[in-house]
Amino acid sequence: MSATVEDRIARDRAARGGLTTTGRWGGTALGFIGLFAFLVVLGQATFVVQARPQDLITGAHGMADILRRAMPPDFSKLQSELWPALETVDIAFFGTTVAVLLAVPLAILAAHNTSPGRPLYAAARSLIALCRAVPDLVWALLFVTAVGLGPFPGALAVSVHSVGMLGRLFAEVIEDMDMGPVEALTTTGANRLQVFSHAVVPSVLPSLLGIALYRLDENIRSSLVLGFVGAGGLGFELLTAMNLFQYRTVSLLLLLTFVIVILTERMSAALRRRIG
Amino acid sequence: MGGALIEADGLDMRYATGRLALNGASLSVAAGELLVVLGSNGCGKSTLLKCIAGLLRPTAGRVLVAGRDITSLSGRALSEGRMAMAMVFQQARLVGRRSVLANVVCGTLGRHRTFASAIGMLPRAEMPLAMACLEQVDLAGFAEQRAGTLSGGQAQRASIARALAQRPAALLADEPVASLDPEASEEVMRLLRRISAHGGLGVICVLHQPVLARRYADRIVGMRQGRVMFDDAPTAVTDDRMQALYQAVAA
Repeated sequence: MSATVEDRIARDRAARGGLTTTGRWGGTALGFIGLFAFLVVLGQATFVVQARPQDLITGAHGMADILRRAMPPDFSKLQSELWPALETVDIAFFGTTVAVLLAVPLAILAAHNTSPGRPLYAAARSLIALCRAVPDLVWALLFVTAVGLGPFPGALAVSVHSVGMLGRLFAEVIEDMDMGPVEALTTTGANRLQVFSHAVVPSVLPSLLGIALYRLDENIRSSLVLGFVGAGGLGFELLTAMNLFQYRTVSLLLLLTFVIVILTERMSAALRRRIG
Repeated sequence: MGGALIEADGLDMRYATGRLALNGASLSVAAGELLVVLGSNGCGKSTLLKCIAGLLRPTAGRVLVAGRDITSLSGRALSEGRMAMAMVFQQARLVGRRSVLANVVCGTLGRHRTFASAIGMLPRAEMPLAMACLEQVDLAGFAEQRAGTLSGGQAQRASIARALAQRPAALLADEPVASLDPEASEEVMRLLRRISAHGGLGVICVLHQPVLARRYADRIVGMRQGRVMFDDAPTAVTDDRMQALYQAVAA
């Protein structure tokens, strides 16, 4: 008995020693090849993006000009921009809420420990992947074409893309859940729904809420951009002001954006701390 | 001692892999009796417990619970038949974020298949029963505390309270002290002893500690390679018979 244990330890040690020696030589060679490959890829990227750092220096004059024309921010527009600001926040809020409502059932189907069957699992996984793979900006372009300009296509785009992001994260939370209480309640004679609401929900709810709040915070930033393709909010105002060369309005809008982003980040972080 | 509460008769269990985990295993437990099942890893004691609990269907043999064969049941009838037996596992398996009391009340859910309970509400009428169960395991003072804050031994006692809230006729415990320190182990064993002797429940407890078995069991069942080797009073189980259970099995 003791001999076999010692044998095994000796074998382990030999195996590990062997690995480190081959690892040292193989590691160095691999490192060089890796570094070379990285430099090649970086070289082609520099070429493809047409990186010309000197342009930044010659362009500095133009930028200073724009900055001068953007100062001071045009606060007389503040009142009329409050509504688009509210639109931006609401696109994110509405979109995230709808996304959470859709993502929870999808995630239950897409988590292997709660999914009722193989076909449903595969279908839910594919749907989630599709929602996630298409960026929200592209969804917004599609929805603007479908339902016209305004905040609604923005909210749709946010929710569809978020279903993809949340669905995957929610499914991971459910898969990482401690299955002990689930099995224990099943053996007490509780039915499927009871097990779900009394064992699954209390275990995963805090994580799901935290993820949803983080998503809301991300969505506020993305709903700002969605305006560029006609989906309402501050983004649309920003685009219009840029096109009309109203740089003082642009700086006001950037200031508003900054305030909104910082506020929501702070609020979402504070709420997440309270849940955790 | 009265008639047998649970009677397992000639159980065979062959898994899909072809391994024969149980080979004609039989045992019975009466109300008020504490039975300890001993054996080395892989001897089939957990499989036996799962077959009795109705979680596995044996390939041959019967399990009579209060005279009713549960191996022939399925669906709703099986889950109702199972409710006469409560299970305790190696881990307490409590929902850490809920209160100890809420966890115990969850043991009654099988009797309350209502809409309210399906959406997460606890049956209020069962609160006094749940408190009584907590008193039985000496945890009444911890009712409002989060289950996640309990120590290992306390958590295991809370899980026994949850099992009692199910109002079972028998308690099946699968290595309930395997992850507890010696002191907490003794406490849990004393509790199981009390539940069977004073509560009148039949208790089947799978253990790895012959010492605890000798101290607390009314009867000891020794298993080896899917067979019941002996089924005797602790005083009749000699060291030789005990050791024979744990001798390496020739491959």
